[in-house]
Amino acid sequence: MTNNPIVKGKLVCVALNDASQFEAMQAEFNEAPYKSAPTQPVLYFKPHNTWSTEGATVEWAMSEGQAAESMVVGASLAVVFGKECCRVSQEEALSYVGGYSLVHDFSLPELTYYRPDIKGKCLDGSAPIGSVVVPASDVADPQTLTVVTQVNGQTVSEMPVSNMVRSVAELISTISYIMTLQPGDVIAVGFPGQRAPIKQGDKVSSAIAGVIELNNVAGRA
Amino acid sequence: MKHARVLFTGAGPLNGQELDVTVEDSFATTGQLTLKTDGQLINESDVIWLSPIKEPGTIFALGLNYADHARELAFEPPKEPLVFLKGVNTLTGHKQNVYRPDNIKFQHYECELVAVIGKEGKNISREEAMDYIAGYTVCNDFAIRDYLENYYRPNLRVKSRDSLLPIGPWVIDKEDVGDISNLRVTTHVNGELTQDGTTADIIFDVPFLVEYLSKIMTLKPGDMIATGTPEGLKDMQPGDKVVCEIEKIGALETYIVSEQEFYGDNY
Repeated sequence: MTNNPIVKGKLVCVALNDASQFEAMQAEFNEAPYKSAPTQPVLYFKPHNTWSTEGATVEWAMSEGQAAESMVVGASLAVVFGKECCRVSQEEALSYVGGYSLVHDFSLPELTYYRPDIKGKCLDGSAPIGSVVVPASDVADPQTLTVVTQVNGQTVSEMPVSNMVRSVAELISTISYIMTLQPGDVIAVGFPGQRAPIKQGDKVSSAIAGVIELNNVAGRA
Repeated sequence: MKHARVLFTGAGPLNGQELDVTVEDSFATTGQLTLKTDGQLINESDVIWLSPIKEPGTIFALGLNYADHARELAFEPPKEPLVFLKGVNTLTGHKQNVYRPDNIKFQHYECELVAVIGKEGKNISREEAMDYIAGYTVCNDFAIRDYLENYYRPNLRVKSRDSLLPIGPWVIDKEDVGDISNLRVTTHVNGELTQDGTTADIIFDVPFLVEYLSKIMTLKPGDMIATGTPEGLKDMQPGDKVVCEIEKIGALETYIVSEQEFYGDNY
């Protein structure tokens, strides 16, 4: 696996932040095991063994010596911190951003959000991040960006950041009250609710038009 | 051998430096730590204890991993380990402050045996697992129960707050501990014994966890596995002093302060 030079300390991902997914799951949220809708951002870590790079081949998941039947991928705008960010307001949140990139989250299919998904989300090399960090000064408003993902050249999702339940600034503020963010920490702010299924050998490419792109290949077992 | 890291706050050229030290048997009587570089002795009164793991990797923690604790929380003991991850921002050293968030009802300590990974490995068998352990330490895995929601439970808001994983005081080499299958685990709050268990009640033991986790992902030096806590949880308040101790490993002391006192100008 290749460690990513951009992420230094923490890669925090936000689940269930796609407004259309959140709306579609309302009935399910009220059933067991959730019993009520989340009132706070749903966060998970991608730990350091997952950090990888542009162009990397992502290891195919194995289970009990067998290749996993299926994997999925989602792409998110990646917010890279430029300075220490501790307990900041929404209004000042974006001033702590050093720049923006893209992150791919390869995983096993998301069957439940009840328990931390170590088996699904912590696979080696499963979080590639773009090799370019676009300076925050070049992005007037991250809410105007759209992340487009293709698998083998076919578009599988378009995720406007404006379609997120919580904005980039709101997430930074909320998360900064839970954990102090350091330069080189990254937040993946939101993924399309329907993650794209992939097969061994698939090419996964995401882009924010004219700004950033990220290309990876799903490995073979 | 016991390995610790400290920030030197005394006078002289070492002032402001982070130092690797060993804690010898003489420490108990002299209060002096030994510099790894040259054997120089320094006084505990001139240092701030840091997290003993210089380059922390992934921090795994176990939920409901003691049979008695699972019963205490009215859960069936799990059939598969309940593993969650903690951020490096949670780590703090021995004799340091941690904070109680404002306007909450229940924050509790969790005294846990921590196995520290010393060697990289994937698909490690149970039989080989102990070869990958460098040593052990103690952590206090604080939780804010008010913030539990049924999404990736226990979530980062409960478990990954700044400073809420005191760890240490040191890492002790595996060979100096030997068998870890029946070590007494205690917590004292303001001198009163509140938690008294044994690692014999652990459901998924260290070799099992190394095998289980390394099937999912590569384990690396500096990764830590906090193995869960026995029953006896109690709410904490600012001003409380809590000591988590594991037989043969060490006693980790922590002071609770208010959110305002902890964050100061950032409050």
